Amino acid sequence: MRANVWSGRNTVQVENVPDPKVLNDRDAIVRITSTAICGSDLHLYDGYVPTMKRGDILGHEFMGEVVETGRGVSNLSVGDRVVVPFPIACGDCWSCRHELYAACENSNPNAGLAEKAFGHSTAGIFGYSHLTGGYAGGQAEYARVPFADVGPIKIEDDLADEQVLFLSDIFPTGFMGAEFCEITGGEVIAVFGAGPVGLFAIASAVMLGAERVIAIDQYDYRLHMARNKAGATDLIDFSQDPDIVEQLKELTGGRGPDAVIDAVGMEAAHGHGALHAAERVKQAARSESDRGHALRDAILACRPGGIVSVIGVYGGLMDKFPSGAFMNKGLTLKTGQCHVQRYLRPLYERIKNGEIDPSFVITHRLPLGEAPNGYETFKHKQDECVKVVLKP
Amino acid sequence: MPFPPRPVDSTLHGVVDYTTGATLLTVFPRAAGIAGTRSARQVRSAAAFHAGYSTITDYPLGVVRLLPFQAHLALDALGALALAATPFVTGQYKQGPKAWVPHVAVCLFELSSLAMTDPTGRGDWHGDVDAVRAANTEDPHRKIYDGRPAVVAASA
Repeated sequence: MRANVWSGRNTVQVENVPDPKVLNDRDAIVRITSTAICGSDLHLYDGYVPTMKRGDILGHEFMGEVVETGRGVSNLSVGDRVVVPFPIACGDCWSCRHELYAACENSNPNAGLAEKAFGHSTAGIFGYSHLTGGYAGGQAEYARVPFADVGPIKIEDDLADEQVLFLSDIFPTGFMGAEFCEITGGEVIAVFGAGPVGLFAIASAVMLGAERVIAIDQYDYRLHMARNKAGATDLIDFSQDPDIVEQLKELTGGRGPDAVIDAVGMEAAHGHGALHAAERVKQAARSESDRGHALRDAILACRPGGIVSVIGVYGGLMDKFPSGAFMNKGLTLKTGQCHVQRYLRPLYERIKNGEIDPSFVITHRLPLGEAPNGYETFKHKQDECVKVVLKP
Repeated sequence: MPFPPRPVDSTLHGVVDYTTGATLLTVFPRAAGIAGTRSARQVRSAAAFHAGYSTITDYPLGVVRLLPFQAHLALDALGALALAATPFVTGQYKQGPKAWVPHVAVCLFELSSLAMTDPTGRGDWHGDVDAVRAANTEDPHRKIYDGRPAVVAASA
């Protein structure tokens, strides 16, 4: 089969690789009909996540048709159309029984290694380095899905792939970020990053009843999508004025937003020039793993007693955490890789009910063979790129 | 030839080249306590040579892009080793640590920088956006600017 494989820093290639096989009774093989490039794939592409090896198949957002099942998979049949969540979860461990699927204790065979690198392991994740299990990813024609009796959701309607594909990651991730904000109606929510996850966080905050949602980014076209499609009420373009904290305070009567969502993570691009340059050098020299501009500003901007919701990916250690502001404002910090399995059914219902059409983020639909150019276009925000879907 | 992932791309390598060159030519000799000595002249010569071929390297910070990036990296390695060897070839190492430690320190810094540099130098490759446009079955501009909101607000 053909698959998009990691070939070195800033290099991916579409190559012929062996077809996947059922290795365990709880496996299924899925013929992939749609897959996507995620912002967190860029952390692998940029070389910031260790243990990638040449030939590793990328991709953790995918869906398709079941073509084979192990004997232990009774809930799926050949021919079923499924969306596969990015965390691989056993369904039986303490974390899974508490719906903390992204912290599954059984699905990552390299948990010890991940603990050393991250401080704590995640569940196994498709196509996301050997720290998360070394599982082959979904930017391919076929994929093996472990614990297929727990993860995938069957799509039994005639909804298009593009309407349900993002149940695999970015829609639940954005929704979880908004849910963390404990929205009951009338709140002001600020969202750092108007990339795909940030856009879903904005849309989810709107859907949950926030009165105002402030989108923060440096790309005009992404801010337009935030307002036109996701429902943001206010925009902050930090390419025009880098002092985001001050702008957020001006927009909120000097107090700060009720909750702030960090949908940026470890490769934050803003920050004052000298600080940003210093962080780039430290990150390149591996003396810190995370550039923390977004999280710092989120803490500095949030109102006293507010909530800081972190759904952007962080990988290890960050310098200059504003512990004084965090303490003296009495903030609540909520974070995590998304427990996608928890959200699949309720968000699928919201799509079916017409509350949201997740396909709004797709700006590029490309054949799998264009994946190398797709990565570059996405990374460098060329051609007004927001989200790339690949068709194997 | 496959290379393992390395964090420094050709752009960042260029920043390091010029910053290091400027430092070695200006404040380094005084900071290292070798100002006015033969060692200072040797380090400054190496720095000037380094900065010189940086300007003609085929990378984003090159002025006239004649020298392939991998040839630049090879010169970095050879130059660093030559600088470290100089005090021992000339015999000046017998005059004490200041006659050879700065040379070896600069060499080790340079080799460390090399070890972290991606030899493919792909930092400035931004893909074939025309191929993407030709293959794309969506219209990005329309998706962003046209049509209705994709979400229904809770209060609606």
